[in-house]
Amino acid sequence: MSQLQARFFTDNQRYVVDDVPFSIPAVSEVQDLSNVINKLLEARNASHNKVEFDFLVRGQFLRTSLSTHMDTEGISTVLPASILTGSYDKTARIWSLEGKAVMTVAGHVDVVKDVAWVKRDGLTSLLLTASLDQTLLLWEWNSERNKVKARHCCRGHTGSVDTVATDPTGSKFCSGSWDKMLKIWSAVPTDEADEVEEPADRPRKKQKTQQLGLTRTPLMTLSGHNEAVSSVLWCHSEEVCSASWDHTIRVWDVETGGMKTTLMGSKVFNCISYSPLCRRLASGSTDRHIRLWDPRTKDGSLVLLSLTSHTGWVTAVKWAPSHEHQLVSGSLDNLVKLWDTRSCKAPLYDLAAHEDKVFCVDWTESGLMLSGGADNKLYTYKYSVCPTDAGA
Amino acid sequence: MEESSSRSTRSNEQRKEMKKVLEKTVKKRSKEEEEEQEQEEVQIFNFKCTKEEEETKEEEDLSDSEDSVFSGLEDSGSDSADDDEEEEGSDHKGPEKDDLKIEDEEEKRGTETEEKQDDEYKHDSSDEEDIRNTVGNIPMEWYKDFPHIGYNLDGKKIYKPIRNKDELDDFLDKMEDPDYWRTVHDKQTGSDIVLSDEQVALVNRLQRGQFGDVNFNEYQPQVEFFSQDVMLHPVTNRPADKRSFIPSLIEKEKVSKLVHAIKMGWIKPRRTEDDSRGRYYDLWANEDSSILAKHKMHLPAPKAPLPGHQESYNPPPEYLFTDEERALWEQQDASDRKLPFVPRKFSSLRQVPAFPRFLHERFERCLDLYLCPRQRKMRVNVNPEDLIPKLPKPKDLQPFPTTQSLVYRGHSGLVRSISVSPSGQWLASGSDDGTVRFWEVRSSRCMRTVQVGGAVKSIAWNPNPLVCLLAVARDSVVLILSPSLADRQVVLSTERLLSGQREAESTEEVGPVTWSDAEGEELSQGITLKIQHPKAVHQVTWHAKGDYLASVMPDHSSHLQVFIHQVSRRRSQNPFRKNKGLVQCVSFHPVRPYFFVGTQRSVRIYNLVKQEMTKKLQANSKWISSMAVHPGGDHVICGSYDCRLSWFDLDLSTKPYKMLRHHKKAVRSVAYHRLYPLFASASDDGSVIVCHGTVYSDLLQNPLIVPVKVLRGHVITHDLGVLDVTFHPTQPWIFSSGADATIRLFT
Repeated sequence: MSQLQARFFTDNQRYVVDDVPFSIPAVSEVQDLSNVINKLLEARNASHNKVEFDFLVRGQFLRTSLSTHMDTEGISTVLPASILTGSYDKTARIWSLEGKAVMTVAGHVDVVKDVAWVKRDGLTSLLLTASLDQTLLLWEWNSERNKVKARHCCRGHTGSVDTVATDPTGSKFCSGSWDKMLKIWSAVPTDEADEVEEPADRPRKKQKTQQLGLTRTPLMTLSGHNEAVSSVLWCHSEEVCSASWDHTIRVWDVETGGMKTTLMGSKVFNCISYSPLCRRLASGSTDRHIRLWDPRTKDGSLVLLSLTSHTGWVTAVKWAPSHEHQLVSGSLDNLVKLWDTRSCKAPLYDLAAHEDKVFCVDWTESGLMLSGGADNKLYTYKYSVCPTDAGA
Repeated sequence: MEESSSRSTRSNEQRKEMKKVLEKTVKKRSKEEEEEQEQEEVQIFNFKCTKEEEETKEEEDLSDSEDSVFSGLEDSGSDSADDDEEEEGSDHKGPEKDDLKIEDEEEKRGTETEEKQDDEYKHDSSDEEDIRNTVGNIPMEWYKDFPHIGYNLDGKKIYKPIRNKDELDDFLDKMEDPDYWRTVHDKQTGSDIVLSDEQVALVNRLQRGQFGDVNFNEYQPQVEFFSQDVMLHPVTNRPADKRSFIPSLIEKEKVSKLVHAIKMGWIKPRRTEDDSRGRYYDLWANEDSSILAKHKMHLPAPKAPLPGHQESYNPPPEYLFTDEERALWEQQDASDRKLPFVPRKFSSLRQVPAFPRFLHERFERCLDLYLCPRQRKMRVNVNPEDLIPKLPKPKDLQPFPTTQSLVYRGHSGLVRSISVSPSGQWLASGSDDGTVRFWEVRSSRCMRTVQVGGAVKSIAWNPNPLVCLLAVARDSVVLILSPSLADRQVVLSTERLLSGQREAESTEEVGPVTWSDAEGEELSQGITLKIQHPKAVHQVTWHAKGDYLASVMPDHSSHLQVFIHQVSRRRSQNPFRKNKGLVQCVSFHPVRPYFFVGTQRSVRIYNLVKQEMTKKLQANSKWISSMAVHPGGDHVICGSYDCRLSWFDLDLSTKPYKMLRHHKKAVRSVAYHRLYPLFASASDDGSVIVCHGTVYSDLLQNPLIVPVKVLRGHVITHDLGVLDVTFHPTQPWIFSSGADATIRLFT
């Protein structure tokens, strides 16, 4: 092990650095880490004077190199990358990359439509599940004890919640529902339940029994779609992009709650994906094409490129997190395809592992491709060598 | 030509005569010269006289128009030859012949002249001038008064020749001496000299500007010493100049000046001449259009018939008249005759006489053309394709479903009926396997399966979005299902609707229909109400508001064929006292209180408020199978078992506005789209035909109906293809259920 992922926190506002994981050599010591922080601060603020920092790793002062410190203190070196899936069996599951079911998250009374990670650091992770039962659940997963606990039940939608997305800072999330609404929620777990105005004639006890976790109400509701919202994502921390069955992709400003732009399509949108690397939106719709859009165009409806090779509805697209031109798509024709936008005529690879419809695709940070389908299987694909499936 | 040639011949004859005369005179003169010296004194007078005579003679010559060419040294023969050349062009033979003749004659007298020439050249020392007289180059008038005209080399006087000829002699000489024309007076010696042929020829050549020497070739081939070709052996050994290797400065300067001028715009490219303006003009531009139209309306004269065998000069014998025919022909009136002439036979074309009736016939034809009016035939060219009304292309009528996207599998029996929830999220299907299934539309997942315990004939989702109810026709029972697949509020309002009048209901327990609550397991499955009918229910349909429900029990004998149920009050009523015909299907008007009842042959429209029939639509088909009402309410389509689909425009007529016969087998189901201008028909041939049907709010404009797509996918099982078809409420998608136990979604 040569590299470690590390985040740096401080209470002193002068020395705050970005809350993102940094890749750091495992042999680096206090001096090296201090240099890194100084470099970062210098990059932000030219007048920064060099400061010698001390580092606390989980409450312990760091005195030796990182690797030896972790050995002595018994800290697990890597966060085990986990895959979160939601299923029509009303549960969500956490999988290890090797394909082992780590945890089953059960609590919804209906089909789980979408899942999302909120926070993945330390021992406790936060995750979200959106369900057909019109609620979202915010779960806290303790990976050490392997326990999952529903922290909040997000109520407010009046239709099945089909999609959920966490904002880049991990403090908010946005959900899209069949009731044509987008709702912004706080993702920070608290200990108080929000007040819900109850319908007067509703039997209270029934509601209590169903309650799982503390009730949470949306921070904001974005309405404007004429049909069900099928996919939602955050372009950056102030902008939400949503695709709908009303043939539009809309970009919303979260600060003001207003709609910024509308991209008009001609078919129902099933899914969208945004790549901050190339700043393009990819959309899959109920025809065979994957379309690339530029969300910054004001007057909408500018399709930059169409990728056509699927023979059924494109149900899922996802840009590669680390590659500017690659995206993966899944379709009802049982195929997962890896595309390079520079060759729009044909995909790089057809990943024909599924025996039934493909419903979702994703990438891991390390570059693995994931796909789940109606054949109740989750496949992972490694791209770098050759596409192989690692099993369900 | 003839005249000129005759003239030349005449002149030749004259010439010959003149030559003879001249010869005589020369002979005389040669004799006389010997006597010169003795007769000197007499000569003086004569000389004067001859001079005067000569002048007068010249004047005469000048006055003589034709023969003025004879004056002086000019050769009349050569002159006439010239004339010949000019006149006869390339024909050179004439004059040559003349020359030859002349030469022949000259040869005859050649001996004499040669002798004479020998004499002359004894004294001759120079070609240029006769130097027998030594006075030099002085005006000879000075010797005018002397008997001599100079001195010879010996210093002796040269006496003027004795002129004893008078004018008559002279004239005779002129007329008779053939050599007179070549006789020249030598002023130096005062004697007459007859020029030889060579001298005459020389004079002629010089006069023509040719070289004196006959043998001199003025057109010798030229040898080019300095040419562009580089020779192996150069004329000079001089090396090439340096200037031939370096670019010329002067040329460079000139070019740069030109370039500069072009850049500055002083020199402009040559302007191409514009022919269109000025040079040509339209002669008929200002012509009255009526005149032109008259020209355009020109009718060509009909062609005269071509001659036949009768007209032939040598007709076959059957065309020749027999005696009787001839007699008949002669007896007949000219206008009654079959032929205007009698065919005649000639042995050869040469013997055919002139046609005596030619002028007459031409005149008759002209009369025909003039008196018989001709008319231009106006031919109407109708392209049969123009008669077909123009329909827009299906491509322009998008969106409409084109491809099969999803297949909903799960049923084990044929799926008789399908219905989509008003939100478009759920699809319900009823099958012969005794189940009702609920499908999620977008993922084709079966969310729920409800066992109803019997083949489901018809299924209908409540169109009210505020309640979530489903009516299912199973045998003789209509089940009201609450699938609880909606929002909690909706589920609650549904429960309220169903339970609202439960207490009131119990009091009135009348009629053939009984309402009952479901219990136990059925209730847990979502079945909330059961409406028991006396007979098997074939179809259920909801009113648009979602409170009323109509059910159909086709039966000939009974008047209880149609029931209308009110769910909120749990009441049922039979709207019709008696039924005419077998009711196949019923439908509520989407907005107005009308009720459509489709029997085998016709569709009746009842006003539910006034309780009367307003219209009866005659479908020209044998057995109506299904019916759908346009969401606007003014149009109805009916599918029939005899493969037809008829579109009724209620405002137009009770007859179908259009009959579509696209299906090969019985049409099982028809459907309208709620939003898009689409309708579809499903048939036993396994296909669903989607048509575009725009209706216009303008009453004068007929609906536009264009078949756009044939959707295939269902497998025909037990001779049944597609059994039901329905559109998605919001998207241009269509669901079809078939006998192959599948439901298919086309998008």
